[in-house]
Amino acid sequence: MNPIKTEIVVVGAGPGGYAAAFYAADLGKRVILVEREPRLGGVCLNRGCIPSKALLHAAHAITTARESEHRGIVFGPPQLDLARLRSWKESILTRLAGGIAQLAKLRGVQVLTGRGYFEDSHTLRVETAQGQQFVHYEHAIIAVGSKPALPRAFDLGNPRVMTSTEALELEDIPENLLVIGGGYIGMELGTVYATFGSKVVLVEALDSILAGADPDLARPIVNYARKTFKEMRLKTRVSQMSTSGKQIRVVSETDGRKLEELYDRVLVSVGRVPNADDLGLENTKVSFDEKGFIHVNEKQQTTDAAIYAIGDIVGGVLLAHKATKEGRIAVEVIAGEKSAFVDVTIPAVVFTDPEIAWCGLTEAEARAKGLEVQVSKFPWSASGRALTFDRPEGLTKLIIDPDTERILGVGIVGQGAGELLAEGLLAVEMGATAKDLALVVHPHPTMSETLMEAAEAYYGHATHTLLRKKAD
Amino acid sequence: MEMKLPPLGEGADSGTVVNVFVKPGDTITQGQPVLELENEKAVVNIPASAAGTVTAVFVSAGDKLKVGQRMLALAGAAPAETPAPASAPAPRRSRERLIQTPSPEQVPVPDTDADEPASPPKAGVPPMAAPSIRKLARDLGIDLSRVAGSARGGRILLEDVREYIQKLQRLATQPRAGGGAPPPPPAERIDFAKWGPVSRKPLSPLREVIARRMSESWSTIPRVTQFDEADITAVMALRKKYAPAYEQQKARLTLTSFALKVVVDTLKKHPLFNASLDEGAHEIVLKEYYHIGIAVDTEAGLIVPVIRDADKKSLLELSRELEDLAGKARQRKLTAEQLQGGTFTISNQGGIGGGHFTPIVNKPEVAILGLGRGAMKATVREQRIEPRLWLPLGLSYDHRAIDGGAAARFTVDLVQAFENFPEEAVKL
Repeated sequence: MNPIKTEIVVVGAGPGGYAAAFYAADLGKRVILVEREPRLGGVCLNRGCIPSKALLHAAHAITTARESEHRGIVFGPPQLDLARLRSWKESILTRLAGGIAQLAKLRGVQVLTGRGYFEDSHTLRVETAQGQQFVHYEHAIIAVGSKPALPRAFDLGNPRVMTSTEALELEDIPENLLVIGGGYIGMELGTVYATFGSKVVLVEALDSILAGADPDLARPIVNYARKTFKEMRLKTRVSQMSTSGKQIRVVSETDGRKLEELYDRVLVSVGRVPNADDLGLENTKVSFDEKGFIHVNEKQQTTDAAIYAIGDIVGGVLLAHKATKEGRIAVEVIAGEKSAFVDVTIPAVVFTDPEIAWCGLTEAEARAKGLEVQVSKFPWSASGRALTFDRPEGLTKLIIDPDTERILGVGIVGQGAGELLAEGLLAVEMGATAKDLALVVHPHPTMSETLMEAAEAYYGHATHTLLRKKAD
Repeated sequence: MEMKLPPLGEGADSGTVVNVFVKPGDTITQGQPVLELENEKAVVNIPASAAGTVTAVFVSAGDKLKVGQRMLALAGAAPAETPAPASAPAPRRSRERLIQTPSPEQVPVPDTDADEPASPPKAGVPPMAAPSIRKLARDLGIDLSRVAGSARGGRILLEDVREYIQKLQRLATQPRAGGGAPPPPPAERIDFAKWGPVSRKPLSPLREVIARRMSESWSTIPRVTQFDEADITAVMALRKKYAPAYEQQKARLTLTSFALKVVVDTLKKHPLFNASLDEGAHEIVLKEYYHIGIAVDTEAGLIVPVIRDADKKSLLELSRELEDLAGKARQRKLTAEQLQGGTFTISNQGGIGGGHFTPIVNKPEVAILGLGRGAMKATVREQRIEPRLWLPLGLSYDHRAIDGGAAARFTVDLVQAFENFPEEAVKL
């Protein structure tokens, strides 16, 4: 096949890659999008954000049914048809991936399916089903993402030891499930399996779960998990794993005490590693850090002048929306704009039950940076709306710069926190002050009032709480 | 106590700091000059309003200073007179708890040094502005930490960025007043030393001011110079006759004293030469007072003190004041008041020498008279050749306000006034 010439080639069609390719096409560039899998969308769509949220939604029906008992509405025990659940979930993914392919076509973005391999700084070889296709490009954007880490000691070649990828396949509902790692993936998938009936034991090496979220925000999740999971063990390490018939034998250590147990399945969610191998990047000037993440500057430029990198492959927070933003920046820089990943607020949402969402500065970060901040909180127990849906355990809090009264960060825990965060995010990005938020009339009865009341609480006059009086 | 910039006199409410004479720790006496301020007219000394020890200096060369703005802090001082601030202080928004809201005396004049950050940027916190504004700033290469935000809490709005850009443009087009930036450097720096030894001296702040004001006049005023000569034989005879009497009154009778009288008399007949052009209002401002500026050649450079109400003063008073002001100019002890409000300027080079020259109009005045050195010339008078003393005159005027015919008529009258100077005006 003759080499194709293009202005931009994007390697990887996840939320970073396809967004970058589409944006470049919208700016009038000739773009080729290379994806090794037949279905576009990357981890987010196929093995991450979307399927996990579909399963969480499905599981939520069970939780809701169970919780309505004390309200006098009683359902029978749920019956799980895993095949139908899987195909429903699959239908979402197929539909979304089809949409992406369609959008690519409409924009004139040529999609090449096959593994991409860099021959040199301006040539990508793509191993398509029809054979090798060489692409001569002016600029490449690497967006190959990351995959779940599976430490060698856990890699038994046994499908009962799963990463998030396999867990989302929902092969069966194991009676006993061990989740290794109390990050957001372990917590979300642990919640799914626990709700579907597994006895979930979660172990975490650190002394807290959901590191990164402020402890007051994580507390309701911990409480919920303690209730829903069979057990949660902190400061626990899994030292050994082996196949034992149809089960996995797991040896763990908590505070020096060894424990040997049998599990039907094990979910390893101890982090993610970059997909940097086997890309031929040694043929370019691209350089990596010791973990395999590609070095980039704030313009998403690698150490090779022709090559940009975005998303999980460059490290930082491994989130789809971060990748998308970086993709836009890379394209803008290629297009000659003065764009840079500077002062971008990347929100985080953990879709546990309840959800945690935060953006901007967290309390812990403020402390670490030595910034003097004031925190204003509004507990959901004071919200009429929260009581109507029976979830008073939430909390809305604002991190405020006392000099300017500017909102530097917003943290929310509670049902629907991910959606609720958006207003706080806008406040942070717009440089709004607590006064701005307090002065805006919020609709009643909604959870958005908690943002307003948290701001009012800063001035000591929130209607529904006397939580905190300002000194002056 | 804090010492604030006292009222500067008519029309002037601000100026640019040229020099600061004091530093923290200095002990100052009341009346001692604390800084040199350049404004509309020239460079003036600002005297201390009280005695004491300087604890802090809030201004530096290049700063714009408004009347009522603080200059320095003084310890152990008894305020002699507290000058009223130029404007009533803005009410403080105490309940709002906007801690960084500067108090009125700290409010920077909009034109303050653009190099100073508007607010100290906080480490790890993005500028307080909407993403669209931050993108705009990035596109334009504007550092938002240098932009003062006007919205609540100091949030930066589009109009703040616009204002900042306009400020930068103003600063870029006007060479910074006073001690700051030198005029735009020549495209190519010439190494004069390759043709022989040279020495370099920095331009003095006064020189910078003169340079700026001269260029401003040169580039904005279409100037014409009308030449003529006046027979001052009679005037010089009067001078010789009365000089000793004046000396007894401790006054020096000079040609400039006569020129003052002559000019005022002529101005009265030609009010257009005692005027200013108000371009904004599209009006000519005719002045009913006669404040005559006298160009004084000092070691530091040109300074123009103003003699007020020259029409109401006797030749003796004018002579005294002339000498007093010239002396003060040379010692740079003039007050702001003494440098302002001129309606016409006289530049007499006769004491030094030279003939006709073309003075530059002292904006916002519209005309200036340049006097050269009187020279004896063989003159035909009533069919006879006589030695007569002739004074070279050069009247430069703003042709926007004054036509050539008017200038010629002015000069004719001026010459006649010199030639028919009444002895009664000299008599004591």
